[in-house]
Amino acid sequence: MPSVKITLLIVASLGIFFVSLFLGPTLISPFSPGPIEKEILFSIRMPRVIIAFLIGIALGTSGAVLQGILRNPLADPYVLGISSGAAFAAALSLLSGFYLLGKFTLPLSAFAGACAASIMVGIFGWKRGSLLPERLLLAGIGLGFLFYSAMMLLVSISPSEGMRRTVLWIFGDLAMADWSVIPYGLAFIALGLGISLQRAKALNALILGDELAHSLGFSVQKERLLLFISVALMTGASVSLGGTIGFIGLIIPHMVKSFVGANSRYVIPVSALCGGGFLCISDLIGKTLLSPMEIPAGIITALIGSPYFLYLLRRRDVFQG
Amino acid sequence: MHRSGSPSVFFRITPFLLSSFLFAILALCLSSPLLAAPPERIVSLAPNVTEILFAIGLGDRLAGVTQFCDYPEEAKKKPKVGGMSNPSLEAVISLKPDIVVLTTDGNPKEFEERLRSLKIRTFVFRARRLPELPAGVRELGAVLGVPDKADALAKKIEDALAGASLQKKLFPDRKKILFVVWPEPLIVAGRGTVIDDVIALFGQENIAAQAKTSYPKYSVEEVLRQSPDIVFIGKGHTEIREMSEGFLNKIALAPAVKKGKVFFLSDNLYRMGPRILRGIEEMAACLQ
Repeated sequence: MPSVKITLLIVASLGIFFVSLFLGPTLISPFSPGPIEKEILFSIRMPRVIIAFLIGIALGTSGAVLQGILRNPLADPYVLGISSGAAFAAALSLLSGFYLLGKFTLPLSAFAGACAASIMVGIFGWKRGSLLPERLLLAGIGLGFLFYSAMMLLVSISPSEGMRRTVLWIFGDLAMADWSVIPYGLAFIALGLGISLQRAKALNALILGDELAHSLGFSVQKERLLLFISVALMTGASVSLGGTIGFIGLIIPHMVKSFVGANSRYVIPVSALCGGGFLCISDLIGKTLLSPMEIPAGIITALIGSPYFLYLLRRRDVFQG
Repeated sequence: MHRSGSPSVFFRITPFLLSSFLFAILALCLSSPLLAAPPERIVSLAPNVTEILFAIGLGDRLAGVTQFCDYPEEAKKKPKVGGMSNPSLEAVISLKPDIVVLTTDGNPKEFEERLRSLKIRTFVFRARRLPELPAGVRELGAVLGVPDKADALAKKIEDALAGASLQKKLFPDRKKILFVVWPEPLIVAGRGTVIDDVIALFGQENIAAQAKTSYPKYSVEEVLRQSPDIVFIGKGHTEIREMSEGFLNKIALAPAVKKGKVFFLSDNLYRMGPRILRGIEEMAACLQ
């Protein structure tokens, strides 16, 4: 296996993680930070970089798993409508001024929305005792549009104040990253990542087709359901941590496959780390480019991601499901 | 061909030109009394214009406002014509306005052109910066037939502005100020806003003035690095105090937080209208 390439990707991702702590609108020297620099480093940058990395891990993994279980190279966590459900719930809580649970209001409502959307997609995608890839995909697209338009309806009839905030949140906003939400996000994402890693062999079999997977001794229904749940957990957690950050779930697995091949046992962990690194670097660019103004990270991921995606499309046949 | 052709064409269209010219003069004579009469039914397409109209005693003549026009209380009861960037043309027309007042800030230019093409009179309120406000109010009053009341309001504003810049001497040390419009994500008042103008009026420094837009999404670490002496937090539609806790915790090392110079203000400075008078007083009280 291309262990050199894998090592390189892992080292690069982790390197980006650490570099993001010290680079930014102002450079912080890791050796002799002043009191203000220390405060910036520990209470602002560190939680933000950690959350960015966690979200990247969740989205990169979800994308790799989904492209496998749906057997569709276009799949990403947002195609399933999970993010739209989360965004709708978040917009509802932002615009209604509902603030019962303090700073956890927004993450919790987003997570609830993501879970509700996942369950609905699961119900619509369920037929004859199993989740069918095509049904899942179509149900996700249909529900996604429904939630998205419901959210736009809310935004268009709401007064101005909550509106801009909602729009920023939809693009993905890491600025309010805070230590307090990290444990919860970490728990769900770790759980999802654990399931995905553990079921990587089964995912390899599912990619080959249901019949083949069955003859290899895997319970197709059970494996697909389990992997779907892991994706729902990770996507829900990531959306509630930082809004809907696009493109990572779509592009990172393809990029990783072009380096390490199609074996899910490598693709999943490497996609996780590369997703983390990619979001860290996007956020770094977003907060540095027009400093002191910030550009939401979700815009940067799409701006860098799309051209690279098109380049991959031209260069090789990575998109053969 | 050409030489003989052009004069004959000229002679043929001369009567036409002449008659249309006469007709235009006639139309102008007929319409000028209409122009001179103060408009009875006014539609306002901006909250600040609505506030000014109420302040100069034209509340009764307001036939329609936007959904954002929420001040004074009576404004909420007026018929709504939609938002600022997307007012409904049909709703405006069905109110049969004599004049529609727009702003350069929030209303699309195309909408004004569309109204004029439908032969609806428009007035564009152009004041965007604080020093332009008195003149803008006077112009608006003149067009709407209440020059005296408008002049009185304009004078009040001028006095307040002059008073504030006199107070500048009371605060000799230039303080670094941050005005938070929304704490999560952090959106602050940058350059070109009424708030920035008022801060400048008092001779203080708005740290967000270096950002490139008027209401930038601002970097929290930059706030901490620039260490503001005073933080103002504007009114939001939810519990802004609770919502600001996270932000204030993050900038706990800034002088403003350490010395308790964090003030929650009303929304008086959000609109280029008469409430600026109170906003200036509020800010002056905090600066002392």
